Amino acid sequence: MVMFSLLMQHVAQSGSDVAAAAAADAGSSPIFWFIVLGYFAVVLGFGSYFARFNKSTSDFFFGGRRFSWWLITMSIVATGVGSHSFLKYSGKSFEHGFSGSMAYMNDWFFMPLFIFGWLPIIYYMKVRSIPEYFERRFNAKVRALATGVLLMYMLGYVGIGLLTMAKTLGPILGDSWSLMEIIWVVAVVAGVYITFGGQTAVIFTDLLQGFILLFAGIILFVLGLNWFGGFDAFWNTLPAEFKLPLSNFNDDPGFNFVGIFWQDAVAGSIGFLFMNQGLVMRFLACRSVDHGRKAAAFNILFALPVSAIAVSCAGWIGYGMMTQDPTLVSPDTDPDTVFVIVTRILTTKAGFGFFVAAVTAALMSTVDTLINAISAVFVNDVYEPISKLRGIQHDDKHHLKVAMVASAGATVIGVGTAWSFSLFDNLYEAHGFFHSTFTPPLVACIFMGIFWRRFNTKGAMATFLAGTVMIILGRLLPHELIEPIAHGVPSIDPETGEALSAPFKYIGALYNLMACFGSGIVVTLLTNKENKDLEGLTMFSLTAARRMFKGSEPNDRVGFPQTVTYKLDTSLPLGAVRMDREAMNHLAAEQGDLAYICDKRKWLGGLRSAHAYFDGVHNSGETVLLAQDVYDNGHFLPGKLLVVEKEF
Amino acid sequence: MDEYPDFDRSWLPYIYLYGVGGIFFLGGMLLVFKSKACDWTRASHRRWAKVLIFGYFWYAAIHGALIYSALNV
Repeated sequence: MVMFSLLMQHVAQSGSDVAAAAAADAGSSPIFWFIVLGYFAVVLGFGSYFARFNKSTSDFFFGGRRFSWWLITMSIVATGVGSHSFLKYSGKSFEHGFSGSMAYMNDWFFMPLFIFGWLPIIYYMKVRSIPEYFERRFNAKVRALATGVLLMYMLGYVGIGLLTMAKTLGPILGDSWSLMEIIWVVAVVAGVYITFGGQTAVIFTDLLQGFILLFAGIILFVLGLNWFGGFDAFWNTLPAEFKLPLSNFNDDPGFNFVGIFWQDAVAGSIGFLFMNQGLVMRFLACRSVDHGRKAAAFNILFALPVSAIAVSCAGWIGYGMMTQDPTLVSPDTDPDTVFVIVTRILTTKAGFGFFVAAVTAALMSTVDTLINAISAVFVNDVYEPISKLRGIQHDDKHHLKVAMVASAGATVIGVGTAWSFSLFDNLYEAHGFFHSTFTPPLVACIFMGIFWRRFNTKGAMATFLAGTVMIILGRLLPHELIEPIAHGVPSIDPETGEALSAPFKYIGALYNLMACFGSGIVVTLLTNKENKDLEGLTMFSLTAARRMFKGSEPNDRVGFPQTVTYKLDTSLPLGAVRMDREAMNHLAAEQGDLAYICDKRKWLGGLRSAHAYFDGVHNSGETVLLAQDVYDNGHFLPGKLLVVEKEF
Repeated sequence: MDEYPDFDRSWLPYIYLYGVGGIFFLGGMLLVFKSKACDWTRASHRRWAKVLIFGYFWYAAIHGALIYSALNV
């Protein structure tokens, strides 16, 4: 999503449009502001309510690993859709047709390696951050490299998010506010919220946001179809090429299929599923690996196609309107403004306020997720290792305080990066360069680390260092290094015939990946095998990972969940629960097996639940006895029934 | 945009997407079976393997149907 300020400025500049003038006028309407501020109050209040469920760093970062798949799916929708999507994809779709949203529909190819590889590895090995995996798989130096790269990447993203939100609000607040003043206000709101809210607040805010964003997008599509007089009228308005879901193969250097395939379907998909710390933390917040799999699968199979319609439909509708009434939507319309123009045409001032609030608050979802992820990486990969080196041990309460301070610190540094990005003429290209330079080494390292046992520490270091050097060389020498593998994508502007200043911006991802994977493979093959214990760290040893997670052999006998009342038993050891013999038989559970205890009301999505282990049997009938910490962590309510399941 | 799209514009990207993408997908599937990360003796793993294969054809069907509709309807 491009910033709303730019939009409003663009909209105002294309003042020949009736809709543009109406859109610019909406910002001065009281009903518009009532809707916008009311929306923010509801969303923040909703998330803040759930902040009281934080009692430990596990709660703060991972929501206590308790949530059901559907809840995580919807919160992922808000995080994924919440950043640039509505304006960016509406613009692309206005220019290029249905293919403008093809990046939403090409994420399935690496799912086998995620579902059966990365997800169970990070879950069972209790990897709290991506750099932590690098130390376990390689060594502390690789972890330090990964930490630095990941922190710079995420702080840059926070800066982009804050700047985007500030520019969104800029034209509405008027000239009395400078950009930096707005950035500080936005940062304080987002920072205070995440500092005290933690992951549980983020998940529940994003749950609400996910539903609202999809609902808003689909409503817009329905209103658009209604404007045309039905789907058939809309469909028949559009030319055949506009309706194709995949773009031209290699003709257009600015938007070609083959480049976007390598940049998005390959590099982007791996990056999204494997190295997005915010997303990884969402999956770790699931109650089990199976629920994480369901969340990922449902998100990609069903939520993403619906999201593609939601974020792109304004572009399709706008193009159809342009062909029918060029005075309403001009052929010269800046694509970045089409979302606002179409939304304003199809809605009232109040409705327009709702859409602006939804997409602006969606940016907060993205920023919140990133700040929480930065805080997790700081505590796990900077603070704890340094404390260990100094021989100091801290308890969980101390780490929780550090996490809160880190969240606040990340917000302040984010303001600094927002300021530096505000100095660029074109911040998206600057950030794009930053993004595409730093992510391929991480992606390549994770990918080879989980499925190639021979991949060693020297190979990982080469992936980071030599890979980055080669990526920079590719930028400097695009014709020599990238053009031979560019699949015929031209390096000249087809309209002017002049050489592009930054050619191969999409297909360059193929070169970047080859550079990083190639560096890692060559150095690994040229150096000695490592004699390192990789149990649980590659997809070849997942059985061992499950055993390590449980602490004993898994019990995979099929049992049946039991619905019971509960009692607190302070004499039980920490983490323990007890049931009667008959219930244990129905559960097919043995002493020491892992248990999941959850409020019977499924719509809570696991909010009131806890993990424990079975510690023997009792003779008190259909009741589960809970240790003090299980009772506390579960947030169970008096008189409510619980469902007890054996995990394994 | 008024011209009827040729093969390079319509079906070639589709073939490339599910051809090259299919190689990555198939490679991933072979790897999860070879590594025994997908344990065929466990019912839940069998179900997930089927979901993965379904997902590949689900998207291939969506894209195929959209291209067919764009060209023929």
